[in-house]
Amino acid sequence: MEKPDYKPQHKIGKLFLLFAMMGVIALPIIVFKAFSVSTGEALATANKAPSLDFDHNAGQLFGTYNTTTAAYMEGNSTARTLNYYYSLRQYPGSPPFVPHDSVVEKGVEQTCLSCHEKGGFVQAFDRFSPVTPHPQHTYCGQCHMKTVTQDLFRENDWTSVQVPKLGRSALAGSPPPIAHALQMRENCIACHVGPGTVVPIRVEHPMRGNCRQCHVPEETKSLFSRDDRG
Amino acid sequence: MGTNKGKTMPIFSFLAYPEKNMKDQLIRDLSHMDYCEVKASENQDVLILLTDTPDEETNKDLIAAIKEIKSLQSLSMTFGHTDL
Amino acid sequence: MTITRREFIRAMALKSAAVAAATMFPGISFAGWNPTDLPADSIVWSKTPCRFCGTGCGLLVGVSGQRAVAVKGDPNCSVNKGLCCIKGYHSIQILYGKDRFTTAYVRKNGKMVPTPIEEALDIVAEQMKASIEKNGKDSVSIYGSGQWSIPDGYAASKFFKGCIGTNNVEANARLCMASAVTGCLTSFGLDEPMGCYEDIDNADVFITWGNNMAEMHPVLFSRMLANRKSKTDVRIIDLTTRSTRSSLAADKSILFKPQSDLAIANAICYEIVKNNWVNQDFVANHVSFHKGKTNIGYGTEDHFAFSDKAETVDFEAFKIFLADYTPEAAEKISGVSAEDIKYLAALYGDPDKRVTSFWTMGMNQHTRGTWINNLVYNIHLLTGKISTPGNSPFSLTGQPSACGTVREVGTLTHKLPHGVVMNEENRKMAAKIWGVPETNIDPKPTYHTVEMFRALDRGDINFMWIQVTNPMVTMPNLKRYREGAQKDGRFIVVSEIYPTPTSDVADVILPSALWVEREGFFGNSERRTQHNDQLVPKPGEAMCNTWQLIQVARRMGFEKQFPWKEETYIEDIWNEYIKFHDSPKHRMASYKVLKERSGVQWPFVDGKETRWRYNGKYDPACKDDTWDFYGKPDHRAWVWLRPYEPAAESPDTEYPFWLNTGRVLEHWHTGSMTRRIPILHKAVPESYVEINPEDAKILGVVTGSKVKISSRRGAIVMKASINGRGNPPEGMVFVPFFDESYLINEVTLDAFCPISKQPDYKKCAVKLEKV
Repeated sequence: MEKPDYKPQHKIGKLFLLFAMMGVIALPIIVFKAFSVSTGEALATANKAPSLDFDHNAGQLFGTYNTTTAAYMEGNSTARTLNYYYSLRQYPGSPPFVPHDSVVEKGVEQTCLSCHEKGGFVQAFDRFSPVTPHPQHTYCGQCHMKTVTQDLFRENDWTSVQVPKLGRSALAGSPPPIAHALQMRENCIACHVGPGTVVPIRVEHPMRGNCRQCHVPEETKSLFSRDDRG
Repeated sequence: MGTNKGKTMPIFSFLAYPEKNMKDQLIRDLSHMDYCEVKASENQDVLILLTDTPDEETNKDLIAAIKEIKSLQSLSMTFGHTDL
Repeated sequence: MTITRREFIRAMALKSAAVAAATMFPGISFAGWNPTDLPADSIVWSKTPCRFCGTGCGLLVGVSGQRAVAVKGDPNCSVNKGLCCIKGYHSIQILYGKDRFTTAYVRKNGKMVPTPIEEALDIVAEQMKASIEKNGKDSVSIYGSGQWSIPDGYAASKFFKGCIGTNNVEANARLCMASAVTGCLTSFGLDEPMGCYEDIDNADVFITWGNNMAEMHPVLFSRMLANRKSKTDVRIIDLTTRSTRSSLAADKSILFKPQSDLAIANAICYEIVKNNWVNQDFVANHVSFHKGKTNIGYGTEDHFAFSDKAETVDFEAFKIFLADYTPEAAEKISGVSAEDIKYLAALYGDPDKRVTSFWTMGMNQHTRGTWINNLVYNIHLLTGKISTPGNSPFSLTGQPSACGTVREVGTLTHKLPHGVVMNEENRKMAAKIWGVPETNIDPKPTYHTVEMFRALDRGDINFMWIQVTNPMVTMPNLKRYREGAQKDGRFIVVSEIYPTPTSDVADVILPSALWVEREGFFGNSERRTQHNDQLVPKPGEAMCNTWQLIQVARRMGFEKQFPWKEETYIEDIWNEYIKFHDSPKHRMASYKVLKERSGVQWPFVDGKETRWRYNGKYDPACKDDTWDFYGKPDHRAWVWLRPYEPAAESPDTEYPFWLNTGRVLEHWHTGSMTRRIPILHKAVPESYVEINPEDAKILGVVTGSKVKISSRRGAIVMKASINGRGNPPEGMVFVPFFDESYLINEVTLDAFCPISKQPDYKKCAVKLEKV
């Protein structure tokens, strides 16, 4: 009996095998490249790019200054008072609880950041929204929650320190130092500028931009003395 | 200096308000009194009056005399000190 | 002065009444009587320039009851338009530190003994006379300051150069602006920027070359931010060796390796030529090309001498020179990607973009400082972006009057108020105005600052008078110079306001008056002179620096040259001084005009300020209404072919880190003033060493850990700061020098630019160890 002529199929077979092998090699490369940065680039970035998380995150303030409109900076609603502000907090600097129900518009529950990232007037509550100084942390519920009751489980004698005093300028009319720690509150514009701010801390000169050129933190309470030299 | 026996050195300061249009007269009247020092305001109708007497009795007499001044409308005490 | 109990009670009584009256009648005043705590509306406001940086903000100082009590920004001053920074707002508190010098001190048997100032001045004059008699006129010297008021510098120059006849006159501006000066002189023939601060309001692109403007010139930085916010297309590019607050505000921050700015600038020019972005018309008519010597050394040896030799070349030679500086070649040197270099070049090259370049110490405190100044000017000259609103290569000054006093009065070894000692015409003019024989003025310069302190160490100088500066903290390679100043046979006089490491080595301390305790003038970066009256009384025996110099000069027999009365001497000095500058290229405003206005720019010609120089549209000293660089004999700006040459001491295996030094917003220089202002001290109480987070991990340190920084010259232990105020790249550390407990200059190197003689405080090699 004559053997069937396999040659053409053999050729095709070899070609097919070749293609298959190329595919096997190429596919991972294609997939890899699609899902990653080129390693060379990644290394270069890792070596050269400086960490931008220094100077109490000053970049955030400069960015906000650029994107905040003049109209917003001039907002001067007087609804929020310092007492109300502190009533939401257990101690100065603690995360405030959420004093309102969630907002539902057109059947969709709104995210916190939809009002609290940029501020503005909220129809549902008929007031201006305060702005968070740390919108980069997006899991709000980790720290901020609604109170559902005023009843305590057991009594306690919790007290805290006095709230920071206003008007601590060293000279009449000079810029007061920053009255609070900067961690999580580096973005001055969020709390001190615009219609949603607390009135006694609202700044009359928001257009100046480089807040920390005049307002500095207080890192120590003691004064300079030559005798402390090491 | 000597002893201060019986000398309690009362020192008082007041804001003295003149009767209407009588500020200059009041300045003159008060300046002429013993134990009195007057500082007149340039731009308001009020004077600062400082009384510095050697003892309580002299002080009482002085206050009585001041009350008699016709150009004085009222006195408002702003500081009082007596050695005891 | 003691106050009796009775007086005290009476005073309390009066104050109580005054306070009550003021509460009821705001604005009330009582004739001829000012108790110190009258309410705010009893304040009298007067103008003055700020005491601190070279921005030269105008302040209004509030005085009540003979004390300075408040500060406002002066809304009439075009520099800052009513805004200040934290240092300016609290500047008046420097008058009231508890350890203020109010009497003179003389060293007797190793102890400083309080001495009436008249007696101390006698001693100073005696010592000067003795030194001159024994060792000649060049054995005495004066080291002044860019914080000298203009009359201080003028009196010093006239006394030492005109009367005594020595050129041993130097100032600390040698350590901050000398490269800017030689850069201007080599490129343009005349000193000081050609633009003005209005460039900030007009530019589309700002490029900062190695300076941290957000902290160092904050009010100008705010003007830049305001410009960017008001328009859609303004860009701020931060070209830097270390990430700072300015980097965080910039649109783009580009890190480069120290010293490689030379290569980057040349590569930008290469791209401009290659892409035909050259303003051919401008170059053909207003630019000429030159080259100087190369391999010019670093000045670390005593008696180092260098003088450059200029050779005229042409545009073709420049293009050939630039061939070594392709963006790819510059990338290898600088670590900046070729793409970023091309991006910078495109910004400079875009004919529709007005570009302002700013720089301060990154370019000036540089062993090739003159060269890098030339190279940035080259970029602006190739593109014709100069002397028009918004197009501005702008050298920012560090100190409040480095321009006004040191550069314009000429308190440097080779300078006169007009011209140089080497020039016979200039000597003739000075001799005439000063009323001294021409032969008094020595035609040969002696020492620049570093060499002057070396001379003091060697014993070639026996007497040094130091005013308004703190060299025992700021001299690079500090140990040598501090030990040198304390050797036998050296007599050091220090005019100071507070005890500092410099007053610690003095033989005589003279108590000085602060700037608002005397009448004076400062001149800022944009050629603006500002006048202040005396606003508050001087404490104790404190005496204005000018008057100290005059008193000693008279004791040495020079009454004729210093005849002025105490009531009018500042005005008299101004009237005499401005005679030197009487030409449309430099005319100064009269005393009367300066007293009235919140600052006047020079040239002040026919009642108008010249805001942009060398452009006939704005500058009456030009010969027509186009550009005329009249500082040079060929009336052209000079492009210089300056190559890249490495730093004096780069990191190696033994000392693998760059040490970079500088300031922070809150503190001024060595902190002798700002540390005594409570709010500033409380904001930054102690110095530290900034370490990159990756390097810190390897070293095993966190913020607060103690780290030993050592160089070939010295070592110091400091606390680490990671992700603090600034972030150096890997392989670099940064130390601010405001804290006299951490004398970081014991570690730095006294290498300098051979042309300007300005030391490089930004680059030397150190190693770090955790302790």
